[in-house]
Amino acid sequence: MNDLSQMLEDVRRGMIPAYIYNDSDVFQLEKEHLFERSWIFLAHESEIPDPGDYVVRRVLEDSFIVSRDESGDVRVMFNMCLHRGMQICRAELGNASHFRCSYHGWSYRNDGRLVGLPFHQEAYGGEDGFSKKGQALLPAPAMDIYNGLIFVNLDPRARPLLEFLGEFRYYLDLYVKQSAEGAEVRGPQRWRVKSNWKIGAENAAGDSYHTPQTHRSVVEIGLFREPTGSKRKEGALYWCDKGGGTTYKLPPGSFRDRLSYVGYPEEMIDRIEETWSPQQKRLISDDGFMISAATLFPTLSFVHNWPKVDARADDDRVVPFITMRVWQPISATETEVLSWFVVDKNAPDEFKEASYKGYLMCFGSTGMFEQDDVENWVSITTLAGGSMAKRLLLNSRMGLLSNDKPVSEPLADFHGPGTAYVGYGEFNQRGLLREWAECLERPLKDLEQIALGSKMPNRMPEGGDV
Amino acid sequence: MAVSEVDTSRSKPLPFTDIRHQEAHQFLVEESYILDSQRYDDWLELLTEDISYKVPVRVTSARSAGFDTSPGMAHFDEDKYSLSLRVARFATEHAWTEDPPSRLRHFITNVRTFSTDVDDELFVQSALLLFRSRGDNREPNFVSAMREDLLRREDGMLKLARRVAIMDESVVRMQNLAIFL
Repeated sequence: MNDLSQMLEDVRRGMIPAYIYNDSDVFQLEKEHLFERSWIFLAHESEIPDPGDYVVRRVLEDSFIVSRDESGDVRVMFNMCLHRGMQICRAELGNASHFRCSYHGWSYRNDGRLVGLPFHQEAYGGEDGFSKKGQALLPAPAMDIYNGLIFVNLDPRARPLLEFLGEFRYYLDLYVKQSAEGAEVRGPQRWRVKSNWKIGAENAAGDSYHTPQTHRSVVEIGLFREPTGSKRKEGALYWCDKGGGTTYKLPPGSFRDRLSYVGYPEEMIDRIEETWSPQQKRLISDDGFMISAATLFPTLSFVHNWPKVDARADDDRVVPFITMRVWQPISATETEVLSWFVVDKNAPDEFKEASYKGYLMCFGSTGMFEQDDVENWVSITTLAGGSMAKRLLLNSRMGLLSNDKPVSEPLADFHGPGTAYVGYGEFNQRGLLREWAECLERPLKDLEQIALGSKMPNRMPEGGDV
Repeated sequence: MAVSEVDTSRSKPLPFTDIRHQEAHQFLVEESYILDSQRYDDWLELLTEDISYKVPVRVTSARSAGFDTSPGMAHFDEDKYSLSLRVARFATEHAWTEDPPSRLRHFITNVRTFSTDVDDELFVQSALLLFRSRGDNREPNFVSAMREDLLRREDGMLKLARRVAIMDESVVRMQNLAIFL
């Protein structure tokens, strides 16, 4: 890594040192300053609908069990036995009332409470030597749920999730709350890409400029009718608190006309109309913008798209789909992508199937859009590891003049929160890297020590008495 | 169209000397050369009009769970039309992920053929190891999978009517699946 303060200064003026996409020192800083202190998405509530359901997810190397306990509450617990550190749950999903360690047989209820300790009396002299009472798998230092999205933060003093999300919630709702009951997800597909995690996050946040070039082939085969150069630049780019996204400009029409234009059936439009706030609806009805891709800092991205799932028909019928993905870093040069298909719980079955089909054709491990994205990102990452990349500042100033004034003024009458521009610009990529720079500069604070069996209080699930 | 189901743990495969097994095996070998050379228009010709082509998402689950694929999610869940769109995309000049093309090798082995209740249909199990190399400085990638195919004789020729390719990894170690298993 070159000088940290110089690197951050360059990033803040939109000149990106190419090596930040392949540098183990930078990654080490990201681990300690960013991933151990940021709200990270782990799972959606619909993945664990019933008591005992669980999935196992990671924040970098830390494995967590995300389970629904017998009273229906979501628990997120560090997946490590309190005794000798064995990974308690070695499956990635399932249903269990208890988790039993394969090493010495300590067992825990699905709310984390330690309930079984073989030879407790003989080995420890019972409660006197080792008090099981109140012992539980370490809960995630901070956990909260917004609209079914389960987030954790490894910093127990992190500011509350809702505060972190800020007004970006306005946009999150558009993806995951199309009716009162919200969304359900399928997946994730999981695959590994030899790419730095930031590249995908930046791309989804605001790169409408790549669409006409990278994704030209999907327009040529009739899968997508929108992303020609002229169409894409009419969309608005917004940045709001901790996230940003892209939109498409839709043809004239009412709120309902425009949702229908991207393929939502009448009954879904009814529920959307009942669910979204007047201000949310105005983004579509008054401003004429439809959400496309977005990223919530640091690693959660969304895509909303409306392909022609079956172009054999001569009409222009399209079906919308939503996907959500996490860019989970493995190293400075490798990312595991977890990609979910998202659909409203109340959507009719035939819509769910057609929308799922659209997702598979466009995004995810086999998606025809996404296939071409990763080819670019892998190449960038590989080249960013060399010595020439240490000397190159990539120009990420699109949308700005040399005096830092925007090429065109922000939209004055945009109904979404945050700042929005029409046209091409790298406002959101810069927004994301500004957040990144803030994190890297934050001083490290000592994390709370949690000791088992000592006098230090161990945080316990509610109603934790055995 | 009837869809044949074969319980491979109970049924006996055809002897290797059976002409039907030999035909099925030869079909898979010929298909592999077509896939390796990315002659995808020719590949489409090998598929029936009602082809179902699936690659489920494999998951790590407890032995007692009773499932080891993701409920409701696949990598591929295709019909003839969606496969033909994918092929059409590779034929454009802008499918960057396969231009320059990957170097592919589909290794097919452990082939077992089962007769079915339907005269013209054979159920074929095989092991696939796919090698994929891109560019000059990336590590090559592998996919290991079990294929379960249904081959149907149409106008005297065997065609692929159904394929389920069950990958052996839960996390795919390949940048994408812009290839066919």
